[in-house]
Amino acid sequence: MTVLAVARPGMRPWRSELWVPVGAVVVALLGGLALVAAAGVALPAAVAAFADGAWGSAYAIGASLNRAVALGFVGLGFIVAHRANLTNVGGEGQIAAGGIVSTALCLYGGAASLPGPLAWIVPLTAAAIAGGVWGSIAGVLKVRIGTNEVISTLLLSFIGVWALYGCVQSTRVLRQPMTDSATLPESLEVPLATQVPALVSGLDMPLHAGAVVLLALAALVAVVLARSLFGLRLRAVGLNPPAARRAGMPIGATVVIAMFIAGAFAGLAGGFMLQGEQLALKARFPSGYGIDGLVVGLLARGTVKGVLASALLFGFLRSGGIAMELSAGVPSAIVLVIQGLVILLLAGSAWWLHRSRRA
Amino acid sequence: MPEAGETLLAIDGVGKRFGDLAALDGVSLDITAGEIHGLLGENGAGKSTLCNIVFGVLRADAGGMRLGGTPYRPTGPAGALAAGVAMVHQHFSLVGDLSVVDNLLLGQARGFLRRAEFAAEVVRLSETFGLALRPQAIVDDLSVGERQRVEIVKCLMRRPRLLVLDEPTAVLLPAEIEGLLQVCERVAASGCGIVLVTHKLAEIRRTAHRVTVLRHGRVVARSDAPADEIDRLVRAMIQRDLVGAAPTLRAAVGSASAAPAAATAVGDVVLRVEGLGLRDASGVRRLDNIGFSVHRGEIVGIAGVEGNGQSELVAVLAGATAATEGGFRVDDQPFANGSPKALTAAGVGVVPEDRHREGCVPAMSLALNLALSTLQRFRRWGLVDRVALAGEARDRMRAFDIRAAGPEVPFASLSGGNQQKAVLARELSLPGLRLLVAAQPTRGLDVGAVEAIYAQIRAAAERGVAVLLASSELDELLAVADRLLVMYRGRVMGECAATAESRPRIGAWMAGHAA
Repeated sequence: MTVLAVARPGMRPWRSELWVPVGAVVVALLGGLALVAAAGVALPAAVAAFADGAWGSAYAIGASLNRAVALGFVGLGFIVAHRANLTNVGGEGQIAAGGIVSTALCLYGGAASLPGPLAWIVPLTAAAIAGGVWGSIAGVLKVRIGTNEVISTLLLSFIGVWALYGCVQSTRVLRQPMTDSATLPESLEVPLATQVPALVSGLDMPLHAGAVVLLALAALVAVVLARSLFGLRLRAVGLNPPAARRAGMPIGATVVIAMFIAGAFAGLAGGFMLQGEQLALKARFPSGYGIDGLVVGLLARGTVKGVLASALLFGFLRSGGIAMELSAGVPSAIVLVIQGLVILLLAGSAWWLHRSRRA
Repeated sequence: MPEAGETLLAIDGVGKRFGDLAALDGVSLDITAGEIHGLLGENGAGKSTLCNIVFGVLRADAGGMRLGGTPYRPTGPAGALAAGVAMVHQHFSLVGDLSVVDNLLLGQARGFLRRAEFAAEVVRLSETFGLALRPQAIVDDLSVGERQRVEIVKCLMRRPRLLVLDEPTAVLLPAEIEGLLQVCERVAASGCGIVLVTHKLAEIRRTAHRVTVLRHGRVVARSDAPADEIDRLVRAMIQRDLVGAAPTLRAAVGSASAAPAAATAVGDVVLRVEGLGLRDASGVRRLDNIGFSVHRGEIVGIAGVEGNGQSELVAVLAGATAATEGGFRVDDQPFANGSPKALTAAGVGVVPEDRHREGCVPAMSLALNLALSTLQRFRRWGLVDRVALAGEARDRMRAFDIRAAGPEVPFASLSGGNQQKAVLARELSLPGLRLLVAAQPTRGLDVGAVEAIYAQIRAAAERGVAVLLASSELDELLAVADRLLVMYRGRVMGECAATAESRPRIGAWMAGHAA
């Protein structure tokens, strides 16, 4: 868990040494290219496929940005909990919880008949609450019996992901009606009214309104963390629980609320993924966004700006990587290795900056 | 063993910097075989840094050392031990579940364990140097003084040429201190050089053959006849005259203390503790039927050797631990397991024993730490009003003489004395303060800061605040408190006026003898 060791609460965020992380990404990509070449794929084709998939068309840009939005939500939640020295690794399960509740409300909860934008806002809110509840279970376990939240969120994640799998396997839950034996194990598509509207209409660009919601919530989180009493309480609880307790701060409540917020952001990501992009709940719904969102949160080193930057990086990297795999025939393993390189080098540069600052 | 009087360790112009701070600057001294060399200085004077360089924990930036005539440059404690230099640290490194012999075997065993042989060696060393020790005793069952003896035997088993003792008397009973000093004399008589680090004059007067005084990393005085020159040495150490100094200052350097000013007129009862008992998670009794009261304007001291329930008592009164029996009242409001928040509301300020763990959040700013328990006062439109917070912090810094570059600096950047002043400032500034509970408020502070802390506590008492003060520094308690309670194994052994005449009775109570 090298990455976990990098972002501790109380560490300084990226500063003017911006060239270090940027350089790390460039070096990682160059290393990735070398690997692609070594795998016997023509470099120009691979690069072209990457660029095409990441930002080659309005559609590609929109898809990359949507990906970044979902990762940004998970990352924001991560840094809130991390202020209180809590590490939420349960993004997958919380996304799943959000996706299940959102699908249920959109399809069978009557959300579609709600007036105007409420039709998609209400299921999104419910998705956030569902993710939050899923996350706060880990908080309650920690407060009551001292279970480490890394373990409990990870295990709750498995439960969430497999619960979702169960939901779409059975027509008695969320699976679409079986018309023939080839009916896929997934839900019906959610009604149009409940779909998150596109940000720019008319263009062939799938970017949905989640981007605006992300920016608004990012600003809110920045203010709450830096300026509110709750933000200070999170920090005090994270840095020194005995002193926070002595100062009369409610430690248990702070931990549970922090985990609720982390889970709620992941649940909201799940809601947007479903109502904005995928539209039907599929068996592999969370598809690694929870884990990528965790990495985004770690690389952000506790700042909202860092979350937005690393979410963008990963959004485009993922889209380009998938395109490289699909159209240039680069093995998916190599795409994953490149992502690993990026994380490793960013983490390494963070360590290097930290060390040179202290020297 | 070298001849007595022969130079054993020559330290020549040693310097050590930590960032901008010169912890040691051109320190030269030599230690001869068979002498007890006192190293005297306030906290932060550089004593521990020097010891750590001699023991190989730190490397000097400048200067050099010679041990027995050959250049000595230890690269770590192992190298120092191999060269014949051993050190007894302030904090022991013993495994509590193991016996004395097994602890000694841990560091030195190779191949087969020869327990019997070791045990015989322990007995032999104990007898030679007067270190009464039972080799088969389990370390957890031993007193602090006995554990220290195990550490000393651990050093002696390596037959060192030089033994460094870092503030060895801080944790001991008065009677144990005398025993330790006798051990030092016997070890020195065997030809070993001893460096005794202390800030207590009585110990220097009693045992040291020669003394070197450090201040701000430099040697400011030396003496070949310290017993006759105590006043000069103190002046060099604290740069002040002891004659006419505040009794707390005199007490802080272990000079005989005067009785405090006549007890102030005592007011109503503020804190009443009744039948208070505490069993820990494993069922061990930590507090046993404690009962006492503290009145308005009164300073009540809790004396005792550390680990006899003082910490637990303070934890209960601070609301950090729930009592298992009985309870206490503040202004007639009962608290059995009062939450910190409720106690703060009732006007109870607490200076916790471990200020880094419970008293502050070191990574947060000074201003936030000064307002930690009352942050909601600064809430405006849901956000924290930083301007008001900084403004109040500046007022506090002025009123309590907290020296820092500004209210926004990290708390961790303050010196120990200023950190403690800040914690005290926060607790003494609580709205509606009725009672202050302070545990070991002067631990690790230099004498100037000790004086400032006690001046503030006294001033609070004069304003009518009831003060309960737990400290293992009996001299300081005698100088500052009106009344003393002595704790032993979780019980209050006795209660007396805080006067010098009570000293023999207090000593007996501290050792568990009913007087």
